[in-house]
Amino acid sequence: MDAPARSDTAASDIVVELCGVSKTYIQRQRAGSLGEVFRTLIRPQVRTVEALRNIHLSVRRGETVAYAGPNGAGKSTTIKLLSSLLAPDMGTVRVLGMDPIRDRERFVGRIGVVFGQRTELWWDHPVAATFEWKRVVWDIPGPRYERMVGRVRELLGLDEFYQTLARELSLGQKMRAELGLALLHEPEILFLDEPTLGLDVLAKRNILRFIRELNREQNVTVMVTSHDMSDLEQLAGRIVMIYQGRIAFDGDFPRLRREFGDQRTLWIETAGETAPKLARAEWVRSDGGRHEYRFDASQVKITDLLGDAAAQSPVLDVETHRAPIDDVIADIYEKWQAGDGGSS
Amino acid sequence: MAVRRRAGTVARVLRLWRLYGTMDFIYMTRSPRSFLMYTLSDLLLTVAAITAMLLLAERFAGIGPWTRDQVVFLLGYSVTVRGLLDLFFNYNVLFIGRRVGRGQLDHTLVQPQPLWMSLLTEGFAPFTGGATVLPGVGLMLWAGERLGLAVSPGWLALLGVNLAASGMVVFAVAYIMGSLAFWAPRGAEEINTSWMHMVDQLKSMPLDGAGDALLAGLTGVLPLGFVAWHPCRALLGHDRSATGASLTCVAALLLAGVALLAFRLGLKQYGRTGSQRYSGLGHRG
Repeated sequence: MDAPARSDTAASDIVVELCGVSKTYIQRQRAGSLGEVFRTLIRPQVRTVEALRNIHLSVRRGETVAYAGPNGAGKSTTIKLLSSLLAPDMGTVRVLGMDPIRDRERFVGRIGVVFGQRTELWWDHPVAATFEWKRVVWDIPGPRYERMVGRVRELLGLDEFYQTLARELSLGQKMRAELGLALLHEPEILFLDEPTLGLDVLAKRNILRFIRELNREQNVTVMVTSHDMSDLEQLAGRIVMIYQGRIAFDGDFPRLRREFGDQRTLWIETAGETAPKLARAEWVRSDGGRHEYRFDASQVKITDLLGDAAAQSPVLDVETHRAPIDDVIADIYEKWQAGDGGSS
Repeated sequence: MAVRRRAGTVARVLRLWRLYGTMDFIYMTRSPRSFLMYTLSDLLLTVAAITAMLLLAERFAGIGPWTRDQVVFLLGYSVTVRGLLDLFFNYNVLFIGRRVGRGQLDHTLVQPQPLWMSLLTEGFAPFTGGATVLPGVGLMLWAGERLGLAVSPGWLALLGVNLAASGMVVFAVAYIMGSLAFWAPRGAEEINTSWMHMVDQLKSMPLDGAGDALLAGLTGVLPLGFVAWHPCRALLGHDRSATGASLTCVAALLLAGVALLAFRLGLKQYGRTGSQRYSGLGHRG
């Protein structure tokens, strides 16, 4: 797998830039037996984990970028690098023209970070108190603060639990409050690490809608990681997929589908119970006269398949669906694990 | 320009203290039952920590060269030091090993201000944290009255500086030990608890009778002698030399320097490895 080419965006527009970034962790291996305990005491066993390998990535102002990959691919490491919580071993990280580590104090005032598994809220205080805390610590001018509080309360529906203690909030309410909190100082970039983790369908929809509006109306650059690919597809115009520390794909979702096969499901209902033999589609199952096939729409035209089927048995009904993006991604991960490292 | 910047920094620290003080007050009024329980627990712990020494002083009419009232003053001083630390460095700012070991330092690092400023102000809990300051001061006043101490502005300044220095000694050692959590997050998560237990048990012990090796250990290796014993020797006239009056301050500055170095090294390590684990336990109350 070669290092991907840099994005061909105008330099002035670029707000996130990673150049040749590598990050390695050393993991000490634990002993499993008594003999190993003594052996590792004398000679500790360590494993080197290359979380990121020579990453080149740039993001333009106003873009919403989905950052995806299987567990341990390097997603959270990247978000930490971009939000001043981690330094690269090699390469440079520039965000808004600054070095996140060196310019930390100035830098964090211009970004917003939400970690789905952590909370910035004061646990034993109402949401309102944490918002007030943020106003003072971030030194947000009064009128700007009032405007932003009004806006996030309205758009995220915070009023119903604005005076409730953080520890009494549901997961969905907590995440809405976290998002609101992250936006009070009007960050230019928002880094979201698994923002929809554990949320129910409705809470998830509200959060995704809000992020979309935020991006559209205020031109906030959003970089979001999630395991839920359908969330990412709804949210982002661009997806960067990372696998074993390398960028394995960088493009839009339609291109991703095309590149890795536009898998679709076809149901055909025929007069007879025997499934028509379709040379360029894979038969999955039959239930009476209803037959399910899978095919790659980038290789085969659906009209050709229907023609083949009709030639064998009268077709009574037809239904076709795009494979859910989660299935597409799962197939991609499977391919990669089988040895095909991907493309970009 | 530099003066204006410094004044701005002081103003910001004061603003942050006011914020955290207000939040602490709101917390206290919101959960009065919890507040009462915490306060009662703190007072019981304080009483438990000083009772043995008090009984010994009472039984033998003092300990070594210390009269009974001087021992009470020493106890009051040590309780005040502990109370001040709880007042200013609550919410696991003093128990920094927990914050580092649990990956909670990230919350501080995403704040747009110097790390020292966050750590100096975030633990300010004047209502729920300072339950033992008043009893400590009360004990000192009571003992001072009985001892007939000649309280002059100079003596009060010596008391204030030594209280600050003693607090800094405990704080600095907590940070030296807590910095180990940068390298061993799980192992050193509770190292500050052990340190503070040791402080609580030994802080009010008059060390005069200890042998040279033990004394060197309790001032040089584990500087417990500077928590109360040494400064009280200067304050009560056991040691009238200039060295005696300034030794706690010198120790505090030296230890603060080592703590700063250890914490900086730790932060570099943190930048390399990040937080390998995260626990929300105990974060922000």
